[in-house]
Amino acid sequence: MDLNFTAEDRQFREEAREWLNANVFKERRPHGGQEMREYDLAWQRTQYDAGWAGVSWPKEYGGMGLGLTRQLIWYEEYARAHAPDNHLCFVGLNHGGPTIIARGSEEQKKEHLRPILSGEKIWCQGFSEPNAGSDLASLKTRAVIDGDELVITGSKIWTSHGHLSDMQELLVRTDPGAPKHKGISWVIFDMNTPGLDLRPIDIMSAPNHTHFVQCFYDEARVPLKNVVGDVNDGWSVAMSTLGFERGTAQIKDQIRYAFLVEDMIKKARDRYGAEFVSTDEFGARLAQLRADMAAARAMTYMAVSRAERDVSPAMASLMRAMVGQVQQRVRRLAFDIIGADGLENPEDDDWVYFYLRSYATTIAAGTLQIQRNIIGERVLGLPRGR
Amino acid sequence: MDLLPSSDQQQIVDTIQDFLRNEAPVDRLREFGAIGNSDAKLWPKLAELGFFGLSLPEEMGGIGLSAAEEMLVFQQFGYHLISPAIFGTILGARVAAFSGDAHLRDALLSGEARVGVANSRGAAGGTDAFHLFEADEAELILLCDDDEAALYPRSAFTHIERVNSTDAVLVLERARLGDSVEPRVRVSKETENIHARALMLMGAYALGIGQGARDMAVEYAQVREQFGKPIGSFQAIKHICADMAIRSEAALCQASFAALVMDDASPDTEFHAVASKIVACESAIKNAADCVQVHGAFGFTAEANVHHYLKRSHVADRLFGGLREQRRRILTFPTPA
Repeated sequence: MDLNFTAEDRQFREEAREWLNANVFKERRPHGGQEMREYDLAWQRTQYDAGWAGVSWPKEYGGMGLGLTRQLIWYEEYARAHAPDNHLCFVGLNHGGPTIIARGSEEQKKEHLRPILSGEKIWCQGFSEPNAGSDLASLKTRAVIDGDELVITGSKIWTSHGHLSDMQELLVRTDPGAPKHKGISWVIFDMNTPGLDLRPIDIMSAPNHTHFVQCFYDEARVPLKNVVGDVNDGWSVAMSTLGFERGTAQIKDQIRYAFLVEDMIKKARDRYGAEFVSTDEFGARLAQLRADMAAARAMTYMAVSRAERDVSPAMASLMRAMVGQVQQRVRRLAFDIIGADGLENPEDDDWVYFYLRSYATTIAAGTLQIQRNIIGERVLGLPRGR
Repeated sequence: MDLLPSSDQQQIVDTIQDFLRNEAPVDRLREFGAIGNSDAKLWPKLAELGFFGLSLPEEMGGIGLSAAEEMLVFQQFGYHLISPAIFGTILGARVAAFSGDAHLRDALLSGEARVGVANSRGAAGGTDAFHLFEADEAELILLCDDDEAALYPRSAFTHIERVNSTDAVLVLERARLGDSVEPRVRVSKETENIHARALMLMGAYALGIGQGARDMAVEYAQVREQFGKPIGSFQAIKHICADMAIRSEAALCQASFAALVMDDASPDTEFHAVASKIVACESAIKNAADCVQVHGAFGFTAEANVHHYLKRSHVADRLFGGLREQRRRILTFPTPA
């Protein structure tokens, strides 16, 4: 056990801090629409142009080729500098990209990785279907092989920012006769493909901005070379993607939330007085969250330590489940601290927006209940069953 | 940076785990009349294996390892519900060492001397009212607060009165600290912050209790059958067990972090020690409560070991200041780095 970073690590931290302090976007991030896309891409491009994108990605595809420890340091400094959360880039940076790095062909890596880092392409996810949510492997969107193409017909749902995206990581059924986990393929899908139709779905935190889309594919044609891994082996490819989403991709959030709790303590003291906060129930909740956020951050250090030793990806569900619930408690308390003002929802108030938004944290990347199943069966070894 | 034990550290964990599994199975607490510190008979053996001076510098008669190794060992003490008198002896040796009393230090490191633990009764008794844990046969009693850590002779306490302990295997007494009595040895916080170490180690101990309760519940859920299946196959039970695992993971990570910042003499040492105690004691109490529920009516009996975990988790919470006090304290620290 060791909390010390190497001299090179510390040097990296200094340089990252300096660059971030000088270059972080100060303008508030728009909550939706093309302005949000432009904002996120511009911030990503700024990082890439300065050589800071893809800390742990291979050098030959535009990354920095450094390990997860440096990635952790970068995210810590990123959060410390209050750098914007360019959430539109999340799928590319944390699912699509890492999956192609792990399982893609050389040609796929050459074509798709750099545009993610350089802020040219936004990726979205096409996993869930109207009748395949927690039971993801029951998905039915069909892909028929026709020569050197796949012909896709069906529907995907809960695709965040699909209407603002260029590319999609798409799970399709290529063998309906095989057992349900054995007939799925993981496909790189271009959102400009003819035969794709989108229906917008607004969410409760920002009713004026489309967040989700439902995707309808009507004989949409994709080159067969866009299948990542083997045809019909998409389930194992998808599982590596979810491992990233539940594990190291969450690092940045933990640090960000730890700072948020500190802001909340300050805000509560300003609003109600330091003495009151220490005796009121707000004080008890803030104190508990301060301790829980310390633990959440320690969990990110543990996640990096485990990843370096190749420990079972099911362990990532422990952190995901814990952090999802703590984040909700943080946002709920922030909402409570502003008191009656929480009933006003002006466009520029992040505390109300993010409170409502926090209901997603125990649903996205597998519901809390699915995480508990994974922990029960794959971490604790309890028998399978529903 | 690495939060996982190194292979050397894992070897220490394996050694103490094997020792306690053989010498101190939790079933020992079920023996009729096992009230009083029967674990004291383990002390000379633990001392001989070097566990009492693990984190003391070699020039102070210790092994010269770090707070991280000590944290890992206290986690195992909690897992096996070792008497909390272990805090008196190990922290007591530290008090003696840093106060410069080599003779007393060596007596404590040998495991021959017994040290009880005094804990403030707080609002229930006033500033001079204490509970003494496992102190009936102890020559010395550890008293450790925010300002200093000290070893008092038992004779420094007055009005000693034996009371029934909620954790029935422990000997509990009420007592008052006499007027103008001096401790045998004392160490100020500025010399060595033993109070922060006590909180950190209590976090590790409580982590172990919570993990013990988790494992007991999981084991039972795998073998107990209802409706023709092991109850652990039902989500209603499986999810309770998963929540126990989540709490233990959070407590483990924070206990590890707290030990490491202490080794680095970081200004955030106290913050992380308090955070560890808060998170770990909650994990211990909630896991023990869930363990009762998973066991059903059996869990409510004195025949199952479950109640030992529940009762010990509350002892861990109250020692060195309970949840309310620790929550008040954690808000007093500046923003950690």
